[in-house]
Amino acid sequence: MMARRCEITLDADGCKGCGYCETVCPMNVYERGAFINERGYTPYRAVRPELCVGCMQCYYVCPDFCLDVTPDEVSR
Amino acid sequence: MDSLSTRYLRAKKIPSTACGGCGLGQVHKKILMAMDELALGVGDVVWGSGIGCAGRQTFNTWKGDNFAGTHGRVYAIATGLRLALPEDKKIIITSGDGDAFGIGLSHLLHCARRNVDITVIVADNLGYQSTGGQYGYTTPLGFVSDSSPYGAIEQNWIQNGIDILDVLRAGGATFLARHSSLEGYDAVKSVKAAIKNVGFSLIHFIYPCVSHFGPVSLKTRDIDRIFHWFKGIFEAGGVFGENFKSGIFHDAGNSRPEFASSLRSQRAEVEAGHLR
Repeated sequence: MMARRCEITLDADGCKGCGYCETVCPMNVYERGAFINERGYTPYRAVRPELCVGCMQCYYVCPDFCLDVTPDEVSR
Repeated sequence: MDSLSTRYLRAKKIPSTACGGCGLGQVHKKILMAMDELALGVGDVVWGSGIGCAGRQTFNTWKGDNFAGTHGRVYAIATGLRLALPEDKKIIITSGDGDAFGIGLSHLLHCARRNVDITVIVADNLGYQSTGGQYGYTTPLGFVSDSSPYGAIEQNWIQNGIDILDVLRAGGATFLARHSSLEGYDAVKSVKAAIKNVGFSLIHFIYPCVSHFGPVSLKTRDIDRIFHWFKGIFEAGGVFGENFKSGIFHDAGNSRPEFASSLRSQRAEVEAGHLR
């Protein structure tokens, strides 16, 4: 069976920790991280990327250009 | 930086100095996505910016040619550029609500009347937020701001049957749309249509301000509540009323002569001796 899986790349140095990605994600992929980056923000992390369905809502809503969501068709 | 911004924007300017949670980057991204889909390269676009949050956060981010206008004057500068540049060069302007609907409104209207081939993206944070949060031309009536501590009483441009897009349509604009920065691909489609229109196009984007409008007007710093308030502005019961919709407002694309091409045609006729 072919299922959609996505690779999520999150630039922790550029993330300002706003949390929009967590707000919009229907699959609860994101959580706030536990460290402070060089700019003084607590960046988010994709802690459950295997749940991503590729809806791209996080990509559209991330205001700081630090998210890439790349769909990848794989069998599972 | 993501792959889109790496292609189009200067690394030293991204992330911008915008507040964490500011929606301007969402607007910025949709413009880049539209350019990407239209296969526009860095050399195909000249990017102008106004003053205020919208101008400051997009100024000099573009890898290609770009310029900043003085407050409200970026439309007049763009008109000059339109006359000077080749027809296929796109001119995109990002400005704010104060810049476009206040101090620069006269310049904007004259651009619409002349049907100058530029695309204006008005990034609207519902007030003068970069100067501390004073009410502006789109602040909802009754909302508290730094300069309206008992609630804004001045009629704005987008409530009670008054709509700035109606004014621009009457002024001759050939493409008008309105969106929230929180929207997805529909907003990108509008930006693409605006860029493709050979004439004056404007998209009114409303985006969340988390530093002034949120805490002062919405009484919350909670990003989730701010997100949902802005997400709800086009829904039933939204603050601007039932007729406040997102989407394409007016599409008369390529229906009127464009200013610079009309001038070029006339010049060619004069040079050929057909006009005396």
